Amino acid sequence: MSIDVSGVTKKFGDFVALDDVSVSLPTGQLTALLGPSGGGKSTLLRIIAGLDRADTGTVSIEGTDATRLPAQKRNVGFVFQHYAVFKHMTVAKNVAFGLEIRKRPKAEIEHRVDELLKLVHLSQFSHRLPSQLSGGQRQRMALARALAVEPKVLLLDEPFGALDAKVRKELRDWLRRLHDEVHVTTVFVTHDQEEALEVADEIVVINEGRVEQIGSPDQLYDEPANDFVMGFLGEVTQLGDIRLRPHDIEVSATPGSAGALSGRITRLLRVGFEVRLTVSTAGGEVTVVLTRTHARQLGLVEGSHVWLTAASGATTVPAMVAV
Amino acid sequence: MVDVSTPTKWLLRLVAVGYVFFLVAWPVGLVVQQTFSNGLTNLTDALSDEQVIGALQLTLMVALWAVVINLVFGVGISLLLVRFEFPGKRVLSALIDLPLSVSPVVVGLALLLVYNGRDGWIGPAAESRGLQIIFDSPGMIMATCFVALPLIIREVVPVLHEIGDDQEQAARSLGASTRQTFWRITLPSIKWAVVYGVVLSLARSLGEFGAVKIVSGNITGQTQTATLVVEAKYQNFQQETAYATSFLLIVVSIAALVVVAFLRPKRAH
Repeated sequence: MSIDVSGVTKKFGDFVALDDVSVSLPTGQLTALLGPSGGGKSTLLRIIAGLDRADTGTVSIEGTDATRLPAQKRNVGFVFQHYAVFKHMTVAKNVAFGLEIRKRPKAEIEHRVDELLKLVHLSQFSHRLPSQLSGGQRQRMALARALAVEPKVLLLDEPFGALDAKVRKELRDWLRRLHDEVHVTTVFVTHDQEEALEVADEIVVINEGRVEQIGSPDQLYDEPANDFVMGFLGEVTQLGDIRLRPHDIEVSATPGSAGALSGRITRLLRVGFEVRLTVSTAGGEVTVVLTRTHARQLGLVEGSHVWLTAASGATTVPAMVAV
Repeated sequence: MVDVSTPTKWLLRLVAVGYVFFLVAWPVGLVVQQTFSNGLTNLTDALSDEQVIGALQLTLMVALWAVVINLVFGVGISLLLVRFEFPGKRVLSALIDLPLSVSPVVVGLALLLVYNGRDGWIGPAAESRGLQIIFDSPGMIMATCFVALPLIIREVVPVLHEIGDDQEQAARSLGASTRQTFWRITLPSIKWAVVYGVVLSLARSLGEFGAVKIVSGNITGQTQTATLVVEAKYQNFQQETAYATSFLLIVVSIAALVVVAFLRPKRAH
Protein backbone atom coordinates (compact mmCIF):
# COMPACT_ATOMS: atom_id res chain seq x y z
CA MET A 1 0.00 0.00 0.00
CA SER A 2 1.27 3.41 -0.89
CA ILE A 3 -0.68 5.51 1.58
CA ASP A 4 -1.97 4.14 4.86
CA VAL A 5 -4.22 6.34 6.94
CA SER A 6 -5.36 4.83 10.19
CA GLY A 7 -7.63 6.16 12.91
CA VAL A 8 -7.36 9.79 11.83
CA THR A 9 -9.58 12.29 13.64
CA LYS A 10 -9.53 16.03 13.02
CA LYS A 11 -11.64 18.69 14.68
CA PHE A 12 -11.93 22.38 13.89
CA GLY A 13 -13.32 23.75 17.13
CA ASP A 14 -16.56 21.86 17.68
CA PHE A 15 -16.80 20.70 14.08
CA VAL A 16 -15.63 17.13 13.50
CA ALA A 17 -14.09 17.14 10.02
CA LEU A 18 -12.79 13.56 10.18
CA ASP A 19 -14.01 10.93 12.63
CA ASP A 20 -11.68 7.94 13.07
CA VAL A 21 -10.96 7.51 9.36
CA SER A 22 -8.86 4.58 8.11
CA VAL A 23 -8.04 4.16 4.42
CA SER A 24 -5.37 2.29 2.48
CA LEU A 25 -4.62 3.54 -1.00
CA PRO A 26 -2.82 1.17 -3.36
CA THR A 27 0.38 2.06 -5.23
CA GLY A 28 0.17 3.27 -8.80
CA GLN A 29 -3.57 3.79 -8.87
CA LEU A 30 -5.77 6.77 -9.43
CA THR A 31 -8.06 7.11 -6.43
CA ALA A 32 -10.91 9.57 -5.99
CA LEU A 33 -12.07 10.89 -2.63
CA LEU A 34 -15.70 11.57 -3.36
CA GLY A 35 -18.28 13.22 -1.18
CA PRO A 36 -20.39 16.30 -0.61
CA SER A 37 -18.79 19.66 0.25
CA GLY A 38 -17.78 19.93 3.89
CA GLY A 39 -17.66 16.14 4.25
CA GLY A 40 -13.98 16.06 5.18
CA LYS A 41 -12.38 14.81 1.96
CA SER A 42 -10.15 17.86 1.43
CA THR A 43 -9.11 17.74 5.07
CA LEU A 44 -8.05 14.11 4.63
CA LEU A 45 -6.01 15.04 1.54
CA ARG A 46 -4.34 17.95 3.37
CA ILE A 47 -3.48 15.67 6.28
CA ILE A 48 -1.87 13.19 3.87
CA ALA A 49 0.12 16.09 2.38
CA GLY A 50 1.12 17.44 5.79
CA LEU A 51 -0.59 20.79 5.19
CA ASP A 52 -2.90 20.05 8.13
CA ARG A 53 -2.13 17.91 11.14
CA ALA A 54 -4.44 15.19 12.46
CA ASP A 55 -5.53 15.39 16.11
CA THR A 56 -5.11 11.61 16.46
CA GLY A 57 -4.18 8.76 14.15
CA THR A 58 -1.27 8.04 11.83
CA VAL A 59 -0.36 8.52 8.19
CA SER A 60 2.29 6.48 6.46
CA ILE A 61 3.52 7.03 2.93
CA GLU A 62 5.26 4.14 1.16
CA GLY A 63 5.96 2.41 4.43
CA THR A 64 7.50 5.36 6.28
CA ASP A 65 5.58 6.94 9.13
CA ALA A 66 4.81 10.50 8.00
CA THR A 67 2.50 11.52 10.84
CA ARG A 68 4.95 14.05 12.29
CA LEU A 69 6.83 14.87 9.10
CA PRO A 70 6.41 18.47 7.89
CA ALA A 71 4.96 18.97 4.40
CA GLN A 72 8.31 19.83 2.80
CA LYS A 73 9.83 16.48 3.80
CA ARG A 74 7.02 14.21 2.62
CA ASN A 75 7.85 14.37 -1.07
CA VAL A 76 4.25 14.58 -2.18
CA GLY A 77 3.03 16.67 -5.08
CA PHE A 78 0.02 18.82 -4.26
CA VAL A 79 -2.27 20.55 -6.74
CA PHE A 80 -4.65 23.18 -5.38
CA GLN A 81 -8.15 24.02 -6.55
CA HIS A 82 -7.18 27.63 -7.24
CA TYR A 83 -3.84 26.63 -8.82
CA ALA A 84 -1.63 28.46 -6.26
CA VAL A 85 0.69 29.53 -9.06
CA PHE A 86 3.74 31.61 -8.14
CA LYS A 87 2.53 34.83 -9.72
CA HIS A 88 5.92 36.54 -9.93
CA MET A 89 7.63 33.66 -11.76
CA THR A 90 7.46 32.54 -15.38
CA VAL A 91 5.88 29.19 -16.25
CA ALA A 92 9.31 27.58 -16.56
CA LYS A 93 10.43 29.01 -13.21
CA ASN A 94 7.26 27.75 -11.56
CA VAL A 95 7.91 24.24 -12.78
CA ALA A 96 11.60 24.47 -11.84
CA PHE A 97 10.86 25.63 -8.27
CA GLY A 98 10.99 22.24 -6.54
CA LEU A 99 14.16 21.27 -8.40
CA GLU A 100 15.89 24.56 -7.57
CA ILE A 101 15.02 24.06 -3.91
CA ARG A 102 16.68 20.64 -4.18
CA LYS A 103 19.73 22.33 -5.73
CA ARG A 104 19.84 20.10 -8.79
CA PRO A 105 22.37 21.01 -11.50
CA LYS A 106 21.18 23.70 -13.92
CA ALA A 107 21.34 21.55 -17.03
CA GLU A 108 19.29 18.81 -15.40
CA ILE A 109 16.63 21.31 -14.27
CA GLU A 110 16.39 22.79 -17.75
CA HIS A 111 16.05 19.38 -19.33
CA ARG A 112 13.41 18.22 -16.85
CA VAL A 113 11.37 21.44 -17.16
CA ASP A 114 11.39 21.07 -20.97
CA GLU A 115 10.23 17.50 -20.67
CA LEU A 116 7.42 18.35 -18.24
CA LEU A 117 6.18 21.34 -20.22
CA LYS A 118 5.99 19.08 -23.25
CA LEU A 119 4.01 16.56 -21.20
CA VAL A 120 1.43 19.18 -20.20
CA HIS A 121 1.46 20.84 -23.65
CA LEU A 122 2.77 24.20 -22.43
CA SER A 123 6.19 24.29 -24.15
CA GLN A 124 5.41 27.43 -26.13
CA PHE A 125 4.34 29.28 -22.96
CA SER A 126 7.49 28.66 -20.91
CA HIS A 127 8.47 32.35 -20.76
CA ARG A 128 5.01 33.70 -19.98
CA LEU A 129 3.74 34.75 -16.59
CA PRO A 130 0.88 32.72 -15.08
CA SER A 131 -1.41 35.76 -15.40
CA GLN A 132 -1.17 35.35 -19.19
CA LEU A 133 -2.52 31.79 -19.08
CA SER A 134 -6.09 30.49 -19.01
CA GLY A 135 -7.41 28.59 -15.99
CA GLY A 136 -6.91 25.19 -17.62
CA GLN A 137 -3.36 26.08 -18.64
CA ARG A 138 -2.55 27.29 -15.14
CA GLN A 139 -3.76 24.05 -13.65
CA ARG A 140 -1.69 22.02 -16.13
CA MET A 141 1.33 24.13 -15.14
CA ALA A 142 0.59 23.47 -11.46
CA LEU A 143 0.47 19.77 -12.26
CA ALA A 144 3.83 19.89 -14.06
CA ARG A 145 5.26 21.79 -11.07
CA ALA A 146 4.04 19.08 -8.69
CA LEU A 147 5.37 16.28 -10.93
CA ALA A 148 8.80 17.94 -11.31
CA VAL A 149 10.03 16.72 -7.93
CA GLU A 150 9.09 13.12 -8.79
CA PRO A 151 6.74 12.80 -5.82
CA LYS A 152 5.88 9.46 -4.28
CA VAL A 153 2.24 10.43 -4.44
CA LEU A 154 0.37 13.13 -6.30
CA LEU A 155 -2.52 14.78 -4.45
CA LEU A 156 -5.08 16.94 -6.22
CA ASP A 157 -7.61 18.99 -4.26
CA GLU A 158 -10.68 19.57 -6.47
CA PRO A 159 -8.25 20.23 -9.33
CA PHE A 160 -10.90 21.11 -11.91
CA GLY A 161 -13.43 22.70 -9.57
CA ALA A 162 -12.68 26.27 -10.66
CA LEU A 163 -12.85 25.55 -14.40
CA ASP A 164 -15.81 25.73 -16.75
CA ALA A 165 -17.62 22.54 -17.73
CA LYS A 166 -16.00 22.01 -21.12
CA VAL A 167 -12.41 22.53 -19.94
CA ARG A 168 -13.15 20.40 -16.90
CA LYS A 169 -14.17 17.49 -19.11
CA GLU A 170 -11.10 17.86 -21.33
CA LEU A 171 -8.73 17.99 -18.37
CA ARG A 172 -10.44 15.02 -16.77
CA ASP A 173 -9.75 12.83 -19.83
CA TRP A 174 -6.26 14.25 -20.04
CA LEU A 175 -5.55 13.47 -16.37
CA ARG A 176 -6.58 9.86 -16.95
CA ARG A 177 -4.25 9.56 -19.96
CA LEU A 178 -1.46 11.33 -18.08
CA HIS A 179 -1.81 8.91 -15.19
CA ASP A 180 -1.59 5.95 -17.58
CA GLU A 181 1.68 7.47 -18.86
CA VAL A 182 3.28 8.55 -15.59
CA HIS A 183 1.93 5.90 -13.19
CA VAL A 184 2.42 7.91 -10.03
CA THR A 185 0.05 7.04 -7.18
CA THR A 186 -2.59 9.73 -7.47
CA VAL A 187 -5.38 10.80 -5.14
CA PHE A 188 -7.85 13.46 -6.13
CA VAL A 189 -10.71 15.06 -4.28
CA THR A 190 -13.97 15.75 -6.06
CA HIS A 191 -17.62 16.30 -5.28
CA ASP A 192 -18.60 15.41 -8.85
CA GLN A 193 -19.64 11.74 -8.99
CA GLU A 194 -19.41 11.68 -12.79
CA GLU A 195 -15.80 12.83 -12.60
CA ALA A 196 -14.98 10.14 -10.03
CA LEU A 197 -16.77 7.37 -11.93
CA GLU A 198 -15.11 8.30 -15.19
CA VAL A 199 -11.51 8.82 -14.08
CA ALA A 200 -10.79 6.82 -10.94
CA ASP A 201 -9.61 3.21 -10.52
CA GLU A 202 -10.93 3.29 -7.00
CA ILE A 203 -13.34 5.57 -5.19
CA VAL A 204 -13.50 6.36 -1.48
CA VAL A 205 -16.86 7.86 -0.57
CA ILE A 206 -16.59 10.22 2.40
CA ASN A 207 -19.50 11.87 4.15
CA GLU A 208 -19.72 13.75 7.44
CA GLY A 209 -16.16 12.81 8.36
CA ARG A 210 -16.61 9.07 7.83
CA VAL A 211 -15.76 6.65 5.04
CA GLU A 212 -19.03 5.32 3.64
CA GLN A 213 -17.59 2.88 1.13
CA ILE A 214 -14.40 2.01 -0.76
CA GLY A 215 -14.46 0.26 -4.10
CA SER A 216 -14.13 0.39 -7.86
CA PRO A 217 -16.59 2.61 -9.76
CA ASP A 218 -18.54 -0.50 -10.84
CA GLN A 219 -18.70 -1.89 -7.32
CA LEU A 220 -19.94 1.39 -5.95
CA TYR A 221 -22.52 1.83 -8.63
CA ASP A 222 -23.76 -1.77 -8.62
CA GLU A 223 -23.40 -2.63 -4.95
CA PRO A 224 -23.75 0.54 -2.94
CA ALA A 225 -23.14 -0.17 0.75
CA ASN A 226 -25.95 2.10 1.88
CA ASP A 227 -28.55 4.59 0.97
CA PHE A 228 -26.14 7.52 1.03
CA VAL A 229 -23.67 6.00 -1.47
CA MET A 230 -26.52 4.99 -3.74
CA GLY A 231 -28.02 8.45 -3.61
CA PHE A 232 -24.71 10.21 -4.11
CA LEU A 233 -23.63 8.24 -7.17
CA GLY A 234 -26.77 8.81 -9.16
CA GLU A 235 -30.46 9.57 -9.15
CA VAL A 236 -32.60 7.43 -6.82
CA THR A 237 -36.32 6.94 -6.47
CA GLN A 238 -38.45 4.92 -4.09
CA LEU A 239 -40.73 2.13 -5.31
CA GLY A 240 -42.74 0.57 -2.47
CA ASP A 241 -40.21 -0.32 0.21
CA ILE A 242 -37.08 -0.35 -1.92
CA ARG A 243 -34.92 2.41 -3.38
CA LEU A 244 -33.52 2.06 -6.88
CA ARG A 245 -32.46 4.03 -9.96
CA PRO A 246 -35.28 5.55 -12.03
CA HIS A 247 -34.07 3.75 -15.18
CA ASP A 248 -34.28 0.36 -13.40
CA ILE A 249 -38.07 0.50 -13.20
CA GLU A 250 -40.12 -1.40 -15.76
CA VAL A 251 -43.29 0.23 -16.92
CA SER A 252 -46.27 -1.71 -18.16
CA ALA A 253 -49.57 -0.41 -19.48
CA THR A 254 -51.41 -3.52 -18.28
CA PRO A 255 -51.57 -5.12 -14.78
CA GLY A 256 -49.50 -8.14 -15.90
CA SER A 257 -46.84 -9.12 -13.39
CA ALA A 258 -47.36 -9.99 -9.75
CA GLY A 259 -46.40 -7.36 -7.15
CA ALA A 260 -46.62 -4.50 -9.63
CA LEU A 261 -47.44 -1.12 -8.14
CA SER A 262 -50.16 0.77 -9.93
CA GLY A 263 -50.23 4.49 -10.41
CA ARG A 264 -51.12 7.39 -12.66
CA ILE A 265 -48.67 9.50 -14.68
CA THR A 266 -48.92 13.04 -13.33
CA ARG A 267 -46.06 14.53 -15.33
CA LEU A 268 -44.25 13.54 -18.52
CA LEU A 269 -41.09 15.36 -19.54
CA ARG A 270 -39.07 14.72 -22.66
CA VAL A 271 -35.34 15.52 -22.47
CA GLY A 272 -33.58 14.50 -25.67
CA PHE A 273 -33.69 10.72 -25.99
CA GLU A 274 -35.10 10.37 -22.47
CA VAL A 275 -38.60 10.51 -21.12
CA ARG A 276 -38.98 11.26 -17.41
CA LEU A 277 -42.23 10.24 -15.77
CA THR A 278 -43.59 11.24 -12.42
CA VAL A 279 -46.00 8.50 -11.35
CA SER A 280 -48.33 9.01 -8.42
CA THR A 281 -48.82 5.73 -6.53
CA ALA A 282 -50.32 4.72 -3.20
CA GLY A 283 -46.80 4.83 -1.70
CA GLY A 284 -46.00 8.34 -2.97
CA GLU A 285 -44.48 9.75 -6.13
CA VAL A 286 -42.08 7.61 -8.17
CA THR A 287 -39.68 8.93 -10.80
CA VAL A 288 -39.17 6.71 -13.84
CA VAL A 289 -36.78 7.20 -16.76
CA LEU A 290 -37.16 5.36 -20.04
CA THR A 291 -36.15 5.91 -23.63
CA ARG A 292 -38.32 7.91 -25.93
CA THR A 293 -38.88 4.94 -28.22
CA HIS A 294 -39.96 2.75 -25.32
CA ALA A 295 -42.39 5.37 -24.06
CA ARG A 296 -43.89 5.68 -27.54
CA GLN A 297 -44.29 1.90 -27.81
CA LEU A 298 -46.26 1.90 -24.57
CA GLY A 299 -48.32 4.86 -25.71
CA LEU A 300 -47.71 6.80 -22.50
CA VAL A 301 -49.31 10.22 -22.00
CA GLU A 302 -50.04 12.32 -18.95
CA GLY A 303 -52.90 10.76 -17.04
CA SER A 304 -52.24 7.14 -18.26
CA HIS A 305 -52.59 4.35 -15.78
CA VAL A 306 -49.35 2.30 -15.42
CA TRP A 307 -47.98 -0.64 -13.42
CA LEU A 308 -44.42 -0.42 -12.10
CA THR A 309 -41.98 -3.22 -11.17
CA ALA A 310 -38.26 -3.26 -10.39
CA ALA A 311 -36.29 -4.58 -13.38
CA SER A 312 -34.59 -7.92 -12.75
CA GLY A 313 -30.96 -7.41 -11.77
CA ALA A 314 -31.60 -3.81 -10.67
CA THR A 315 -29.45 -2.35 -7.90
CA THR A 316 -31.71 -1.82 -4.91
CA VAL A 317 -31.36 -0.90 -1.26
CA PRO A 318 -34.09 -1.10 1.39
CA ALA A 319 -35.72 2.27 1.90
CA MET A 320 -34.79 4.05 5.13
CA VAL A 321 -37.59 4.09 7.63
CA ALA A 322 -38.86 7.62 7.93
CA VAL A 323 -38.40 8.87 11.47
CA MET B 1 -21.04 59.37 -11.52
CA VAL B 2 -23.35 61.64 -9.63
CA ASP B 3 -25.14 63.99 -11.95
CA VAL B 4 -24.55 67.60 -10.85
CA SER B 5 -25.12 70.83 -12.68
CA THR B 6 -22.19 72.67 -14.21
CA PRO B 7 -22.16 75.65 -11.77
CA THR B 8 -22.12 73.21 -8.82
CA LYS B 9 -19.21 71.35 -10.41
CA TRP B 10 -17.24 74.54 -10.76
CA LEU B 11 -18.05 75.61 -7.21
CA LEU B 12 -16.90 72.25 -5.81
CA ARG B 13 -13.67 72.47 -7.79
CA LEU B 14 -13.06 76.00 -6.61
CA VAL B 15 -13.59 75.02 -2.97
CA ALA B 16 -11.29 71.99 -3.23
CA VAL B 17 -8.53 73.81 -5.07
CA GLY B 18 -8.85 76.85 -2.81
CA TYR B 19 -8.64 74.73 0.31
CA VAL B 20 -5.47 72.93 -0.80
CA PHE B 21 -3.96 76.17 -2.09
CA PHE B 22 -4.37 78.15 1.13
CA LEU B 23 -3.47 75.24 3.39
CA VAL B 24 -0.59 73.62 1.49
CA ALA B 25 0.54 75.17 -1.75
CA TRP B 26 0.85 78.81 -0.69
CA PRO B 27 2.67 78.24 2.62
CA VAL B 28 5.07 75.73 1.08
CA GLY B 29 5.55 78.02 -1.90
CA LEU B 30 6.44 80.91 0.40
CA VAL B 31 9.08 78.80 2.16
CA VAL B 32 10.62 78.06 -1.23
CA GLN B 33 10.39 81.72 -2.21
CA GLN B 34 12.04 82.81 1.06
CA THR B 35 14.82 80.26 0.53
CA PHE B 36 15.70 81.81 -2.81
CA SER B 37 15.03 85.47 -1.82
CA ASN B 38 18.78 86.17 -2.02
CA GLY B 39 19.47 83.83 -4.90
CA LEU B 40 21.40 80.78 -3.80
CA THR B 41 23.06 82.53 -0.85
CA ASN B 42 20.64 81.23 1.81
CA LEU B 43 21.08 77.69 0.62
CA THR B 44 24.90 77.86 0.39
CA ASP B 45 25.04 79.62 3.79
CA ALA B 46 22.94 76.89 5.35
CA LEU B 47 25.00 74.16 3.74
CA SER B 48 28.21 75.68 5.11
CA ASP B 49 26.77 75.95 8.63
CA GLU B 50 28.23 73.07 10.66
CA GLN B 51 25.18 73.00 12.89
CA VAL B 52 22.92 72.42 9.87
CA ILE B 53 25.23 69.86 8.25
CA GLY B 54 25.56 67.94 11.54
CA ALA B 55 21.79 68.01 12.00
CA LEU B 56 21.17 66.74 8.47
CA GLN B 57 23.64 63.90 8.96
CA LEU B 58 22.09 63.02 12.30
CA THR B 59 18.58 63.12 10.81
CA LEU B 60 19.63 60.81 8.01
CA MET B 61 21.32 58.40 10.40
CA VAL B 62 18.35 58.29 12.79
CA ALA B 63 15.83 57.94 9.95
CA LEU B 64 17.75 55.14 8.22
CA TRP B 65 18.12 53.14 11.42
CA ALA B 66 14.46 53.64 12.25
CA VAL B 67 13.42 52.51 8.77
CA VAL B 68 15.64 49.43 8.85
CA ILE B 69 14.37 48.41 12.30
CA ASN B 70 10.75 49.07 11.33
CA LEU B 71 11.26 47.14 8.10
CA VAL B 72 12.37 43.99 9.92
CA PHE B 73 9.80 44.22 12.71
CA GLY B 74 7.07 45.56 10.40
CA VAL B 75 7.27 42.62 7.98
CA GLY B 76 7.62 40.18 10.88
CA ILE B 77 4.63 41.55 12.78
CA SER B 78 2.56 41.67 9.57
CA LEU B 79 3.23 37.96 8.96
CA LEU B 80 2.37 37.23 12.58
CA LEU B 81 -0.91 39.16 12.35
CA VAL B 82 -2.05 37.62 9.06
CA ARG B 83 -0.72 34.06 9.10
CA PHE B 84 -1.04 33.05 12.76
CA GLU B 85 -3.79 32.84 15.32
CA PHE B 86 -2.86 33.60 18.91
CA PRO B 87 -4.50 35.05 22.01
CA GLY B 88 -4.10 38.82 22.21
CA LYS B 89 -3.87 39.25 18.46
CA ARG B 90 -6.52 41.98 18.38
CA VAL B 91 -4.85 43.83 21.22
CA LEU B 92 -1.54 43.73 19.32
CA SER B 93 -3.27 45.00 16.20
CA ALA B 94 -4.84 47.87 18.13
CA LEU B 95 -1.53 48.75 19.83
CA ILE B 96 0.15 49.04 16.44
CA ASP B 97 -2.26 51.81 15.48
CA LEU B 98 -1.58 53.69 18.71
CA PRO B 99 1.33 55.77 17.33
CA LEU B 100 -1.09 57.22 14.76
CA SER B 101 -3.39 58.57 17.45
CA VAL B 102 -1.01 59.49 20.28
CA SER B 103 0.78 62.83 20.08
CA PRO B 104 4.51 62.40 19.42
CA VAL B 105 5.24 64.63 22.43
CA VAL B 106 3.49 62.09 24.65
CA VAL B 107 5.54 59.33 23.01
CA GLY B 108 8.71 61.25 23.84
CA LEU B 109 7.68 61.73 27.45
CA ALA B 110 6.76 58.06 27.83
CA LEU B 111 10.13 56.92 26.48
CA LEU B 112 11.85 59.44 28.75
CA LEU B 113 10.11 57.91 31.77
CA VAL B 114 11.12 54.36 30.92
CA TYR B 115 14.67 54.82 29.64
CA ASN B 116 16.05 57.87 31.48
CA GLY B 117 19.40 57.41 33.21
CA ARG B 118 18.36 58.43 36.75
CA ASP B 119 15.46 56.18 37.73
CA GLY B 120 13.64 53.16 36.30
CA TRP B 121 15.30 49.79 35.63
CA ILE B 122 16.57 49.97 32.12
CA GLY B 123 18.09 53.45 31.80
CA PRO B 124 20.56 53.33 34.73
CA ALA B 125 21.54 49.73 33.94
CA ALA B 126 22.28 50.64 30.33
CA GLU B 127 24.17 53.78 31.32
CA SER B 128 26.36 51.89 33.80
CA ARG B 129 27.40 49.74 30.82
CA GLY B 130 28.21 52.85 28.81
CA LEU B 131 25.07 52.97 26.69
CA GLN B 132 23.28 56.28 26.87
CA ILE B 133 19.71 55.98 25.61
CA ILE B 134 17.99 59.24 26.45
CA PHE B 135 19.62 62.48 25.20
CA ASP B 136 21.48 60.41 22.62
CA SER B 137 20.84 58.67 19.30
CA PRO B 138 19.44 55.34 20.66
CA GLY B 139 16.54 57.23 22.25
CA MET B 140 16.02 59.31 19.13
CA ILE B 141 15.95 56.17 16.96
CA MET B 142 13.45 54.58 19.38
CA ALA B 143 11.18 57.62 19.28
CA THR B 144 11.31 57.68 15.48
CA CYS B 145 10.62 53.93 15.27
CA PHE B 146 7.61 54.41 17.52
CA VAL B 147 5.96 57.11 15.44
CA ALA B 148 6.65 55.35 12.12
CA LEU B 149 5.76 51.85 13.33
CA PRO B 150 2.29 51.44 11.73
CA LEU B 151 3.26 52.65 8.26
CA ILE B 152 4.91 49.48 6.90
CA ILE B 153 2.52 47.14 8.73
CA ARG B 154 -0.58 48.92 7.40
CA GLU B 155 0.77 48.60 3.86
CA VAL B 156 1.84 44.96 4.08
CA VAL B 157 -1.07 43.42 6.04
CA PRO B 158 -3.79 43.95 3.38
CA VAL B 159 -1.52 42.61 0.63
CA LEU B 160 -0.74 39.50 2.69
CA HIS B 161 -4.47 39.00 3.21
CA GLU B 162 -5.10 39.42 -0.50
CA ILE B 163 -2.49 36.94 -1.76
CA GLY B 164 -3.56 34.30 0.78
CA ASP B 165 -1.32 31.42 1.80
CA ASP B 166 -1.92 29.14 -1.20
CA GLN B 167 1.41 29.96 -2.79
CA GLU B 168 3.24 29.44 0.50
CA GLN B 169 1.59 26.06 0.98
CA ALA B 170 2.48 25.08 -2.58
CA ALA B 171 6.11 26.03 -1.89
CA ARG B 172 6.13 23.95 1.28
CA SER B 173 4.71 20.93 -0.52
CA LEU B 174 7.47 21.32 -3.13
CA GLY B 175 10.08 21.02 -0.42
CA ALA B 176 10.84 24.63 0.51
CA SER B 177 11.71 25.37 4.15
CA THR B 178 10.11 28.26 6.04
CA ARG B 179 13.11 30.43 5.19
CA GLN B 180 13.14 29.53 1.50
CA THR B 181 9.39 30.07 1.31
CA PHE B 182 9.76 33.54 2.80
CA TRP B 183 12.60 34.70 0.54
CA ARG B 184 11.39 33.09 -2.68
CA ILE B 185 7.61 33.35 -2.43
CA THR B 186 6.28 35.65 0.31
CA LEU B 187 8.74 38.54 0.00
CA PRO B 188 8.53 38.85 -3.81
CA SER B 189 4.72 38.88 -3.51
CA ILE B 190 4.66 41.74 -0.99
CA LYS B 191 7.66 43.56 -2.46
CA TRP B 192 5.83 46.66 -3.65
CA ALA B 193 3.85 47.06 -0.46
CA VAL B 194 7.11 46.89 1.48
CA VAL B 195 8.78 49.46 -0.74
CA TYR B 196 5.78 51.75 -0.44
CA GLY B 197 5.77 51.36 3.33
CA VAL B 198 9.51 52.05 3.50
CA VAL B 199 9.14 55.26 1.50
CA LEU B 200 6.32 56.47 3.74
CA SER B 201 8.30 55.54 6.87
CA LEU B 202 11.35 57.36 5.59
CA ALA B 203 9.37 60.52 4.91
CA ARG B 204 7.72 60.31 8.33
CA SER B 205 11.03 59.62 10.09
CA LEU B 206 12.83 62.55 8.47
CA GLY B 207 10.09 64.94 9.53
CA GLU B 208 9.65 63.75 13.13
CA PHE B 209 9.83 66.61 15.62
CA GLY B 210 7.92 66.30 18.91
CA ALA B 211 9.03 62.93 20.20
CA VAL B 212 12.63 63.46 19.10
CA LYS B 213 12.76 66.93 20.68
CA ILE B 214 11.95 65.49 24.11
CA VAL B 215 14.17 62.40 24.10
CA SER B 216 17.10 64.14 22.42
CA GLY B 217 17.28 67.00 24.90
CA ASN B 218 17.77 69.25 21.85
CA ILE B 219 21.50 69.74 22.52
CA THR B 220 22.89 72.14 19.92
CA GLY B 221 25.48 70.53 17.65
CA GLN B 222 24.97 67.10 19.22
CA THR B 223 21.42 65.82 19.27
CA GLN B 224 19.68 68.34 17.04
CA THR B 225 17.96 66.86 14.00
CA ALA B 226 17.02 68.92 10.93
CA THR B 227 13.56 69.79 12.21
CA LEU B 228 14.98 70.88 15.56
CA VAL B 229 17.55 73.05 13.79
CA VAL B 230 14.78 74.73 11.83
CA GLU B 231 13.05 75.68 15.06
CA ALA B 232 16.27 76.79 16.78
CA LYS B 233 17.44 78.88 13.83
CA TYR B 234 14.05 80.49 13.46
CA GLN B 235 13.98 81.50 17.13
CA ASN B 236 17.56 82.79 16.84
CA PHE B 237 16.51 85.26 14.16
CA GLN B 238 18.36 83.25 11.48
CA GLN B 239 15.20 82.85 9.42
CA GLU B 240 17.10 82.45 6.13
CA THR B 241 18.88 79.35 7.39
CA ALA B 242 15.59 78.04 8.81
CA TYR B 243 13.92 78.47 5.41
CA ALA B 244 16.80 76.85 3.56
CA THR B 245 16.79 73.83 5.87
CA SER B 246 13.00 73.59 5.54
CA PHE B 247 13.43 73.70 1.79
CA LEU B 248 15.79 70.71 1.94
CA LEU B 249 13.22 68.76 3.97
CA ILE B 250 10.51 69.67 1.46
CA VAL B 251 12.69 68.43 -1.41
CA VAL B 252 13.16 65.06 0.30
CA SER B 253 9.40 64.76 0.94
CA ILE B 254 8.54 65.58 -2.65
CA ALA B 255 11.14 63.07 -3.85
CA ALA B 256 9.49 60.45 -1.63
CA LEU B 257 6.05 61.33 -3.05
CA VAL B 258 7.37 61.04 -6.59
CA VAL B 259 8.80 57.61 -5.83
CA VAL B 260 5.46 56.55 -4.36
CA ALA B 261 3.60 57.88 -7.38
CA PHE B 262 5.81 55.73 -9.61
CA LEU B 263 5.23 52.66 -7.47
CA ARG B 264 1.48 52.98 -7.15
CA PRO B 265 0.45 51.66 -10.59
CA LYS B 266 2.76 48.66 -10.18
CA ARG B 267 0.95 47.68 -6.99
CA ALA B 268 -2.24 47.29 -8.99
CA HIS B 269 -0.93 44.05 -10.56
